[in-house]
Amino acid sequence: KIQMSRRYDQSTTTFSPEGRLHQVEYAIEAINNAGTCVGLQCADGIVLCAERKVVSKLLAPSKTSEKTYTVDDHVVCLVAGLTSDANILINQSRLGSQRYLYKYQEPMPVEQVVKSICNYKQAYTQYGGLRPFGVAFLFAGWDRNFGYQLYQTDPSGNYSGWKATVIGQNNQAGKSILKTDYSENNSLDKNLKIAVKILLKTMDSTSPSPDRIELSTIVRNADGDIKHVTLKDAQVQKFIDEIQKEEEVEQKKSEASTGDI
Amino acid sequence: NKTSFRYYYYINYLYLPNMSILEYNGGAVIAMAGKNCVGICSDLRLGAQFQTVSRDFKKVFKVTDKLYVGLTGLATDILSVDQLLQFRCNMYKLRENREIKPEAFSALLSTLLYEKRFGPWFCEPVVAGLTADNKPFLSGMDLIGAPVFGSDFVVSGTCTANLHGMCESLYRPDMEPEELFEVLAQCLLAAVDRDAISGWGALVHIITPEGVITKKLRSRQD
Repeated sequence: KIQMSRRYDQSTTTFSPEGRLHQVEYAIEAINNAGTCVGLQCADGIVLCAERKVVSKLLAPSKTSEKTYTVDDHVVCLVAGLTSDANILINQSRLGSQRYLYKYQEPMPVEQVVKSICNYKQAYTQYGGLRPFGVAFLFAGWDRNFGYQLYQTDPSGNYSGWKATVIGQNNQAGKSILKTDYSENNSLDKNLKIAVKILLKTMDSTSPSPDRIELSTIVRNADGDIKHVTLKDAQVQKFIDEIQKEEEVEQKKSEASTGDI
Repeated sequence: NKTSFRYYYYINYLYLPNMSILEYNGGAVIAMAGKNCVGICSDLRLGAQFQTVSRDFKKVFKVTDKLYVGLTGLATDILSVDQLLQFRCNMYKLRENREIKPEAFSALLSTLLYEKRFGPWFCEPVVAGLTADNKPFLSGMDLIGAPVFGSDFVVSGTCTANLHGMCESLYRPDMEPEELFEVLAQCLLAAVDRDAISGWGALVHIITPEGVITKKLRSRQD
């Protein structure tokens, strides 16, 4: 099948005989090797969690994150894919958000932020013969019309709204954990734990540590300000320890039940 | 008849050769340096030539906790330039992950104004802030962005001659925040009393490393 699609996959602007855009599909494939990103929504806020792939003692301490970016006071996003492509798109979304604020003197609604960046991505699948952006985002934010919202975007320029979702490496494993553990009525703390749990499952590390995990929340406080708070390493470690302890207990239980008489 | 002729006269008033668009709405702003603090204040009048329209039109805007900008001139351009500055400073904060410093902000404002060299924003701004070492920073500009960096005070508005005179008389270096407030308030109030299109109250901000003290002054309401 891969050999058959050869002739129609060199250019983004060409459909294959089966009606597919192969370049776009390959771009989507690139996301599946990227560090996992998780987003969970509840009544009080949104939990965001991402796995940092590049962790080395030789790396200079970073002023910015490679996964979490602020787009505006009320919108934050997680990146899965090529960081360099993501930087272009994040700059565009920041400009778009400020242009709206300048024009209407009120914050840009979250869906419109997402839509504008998706339209920008879509142009690279239809015009110019340039390759698509190899980036998928999880946009999380709050606005006056629809409250807390979580959106996923992909290189095709498509987007969808979610209550909870996982993108990137091993996202299927993550999604199955969401099916069992996630509920709309969860508290923010419960969602924090689920997010870390999902990351522990999707990471290919046997010794998970807080420096590989970026855990943050978006919450609108009593004054009406939207705060994006990144949890400290110690707090993340606490969640990791709790989850690992629970897993040990589960394992012992299952071992005990399959023992001989 | 006589009344309609007088009305027609006022409409054409602006088109007299000695009338400037910067004097249509009226206003005054002073910024002054103290000891590890700066003060910036403006009057509150908004008028349409001689008719006062609002006595609550603030001309000083916050950029960061340690940086304020005051704008005089055409009211619509005051608002537009403030909104543009918010755009630019928001982008700056997102890209650089820190708040903008007064020196960089002053340069930003200067280039923003010069971009419109041949169709300018009709406003003359004043920048007041504290540098990273909490030293006072003052700068003023004309409508096309030519900056002047003051070590003592900078003024702008329809009564700059009055403002300069008052500041020269009352200013002394290294004032503490309370003294600075008194001097600043007296300079502005006295100056705008001799200007028909400025006044109707004043708003003073004293920026210190600990925070900003804001006071509203009630002056002659005429």
